[in-house]
Amino acid sequence: MSEEAKKNFAGALTARPNSDEPKPAPVPAVPPKKVIIKSADMIPDMQKEAVDIAVAAFEKYNVEKDVAEQIKKEFDKRHGPTWHCIVGRNFGSYVTHETNHFVYFYLDQKAVLLFKSG
Amino acid sequence: MLEGKAVIGETDMLQTMQQDALNLASKALDFFDVTEATDIARFIKKEFDRTHGPGWQCIVGTDFGSFVTHCCGCFIYFCIGSLAILLFRGSPPP
Repeated sequence: MSEEAKKNFAGALTARPNSDEPKPAPVPAVPPKKVIIKSADMIPDMQKEAVDIAVAAFEKYNVEKDVAEQIKKEFDKRHGPTWHCIVGRNFGSYVTHETNHFVYFYLDQKAVLLFKSG
Repeated sequence: MLEGKAVIGETDMLQTMQQDALNLASKALDFFDVTEATDIARFIKKEFDRTHGPGWQCIVGTDFGSFVTHCCGCFIYFCIGSLAILLFRGSPPP
């Protein structure tokens, strides 16, 4: 009887330390923006560039017109004029663009249309 | 007219051409529902390419911002009913 009591006590002791050691919660990482390329006639490198510039623009500006301005001007600078950019949640378009210079993608809920013409 | 009155927001376009744009938008809304933004855009752009020379671009929607470069005398942004419409020529006519 006394031996059994000892065993139980020991078991209880070994169990407690484990339960008393809470694991530190991992710091939640900021989820990256969801990118979906809906339609593209553009080389992959340029597509990635467009997405990167758009991500940066959305972080910097809140107004869609300002985001569009940033993207368009950056592309005019890097790839020559003349680019056009549309940003928004709800729009349809019908445009004529130069070959290999068109991309339409979503960043979370916002659509971005970027194309070269003229 | 189901779509109601058109309201011009910004324009750099001859009066007659502006009227063309508004008339076409009105006609487009007779053919298409307001949710068919791409079809409306195509309708307007194609007609302008035909009557005023190629190179037109058209954006239709309820929620968008834009930044574009257009030719002199070839830009209009207006609202008709619940839709906003942007029409411009990006490249000079040949």
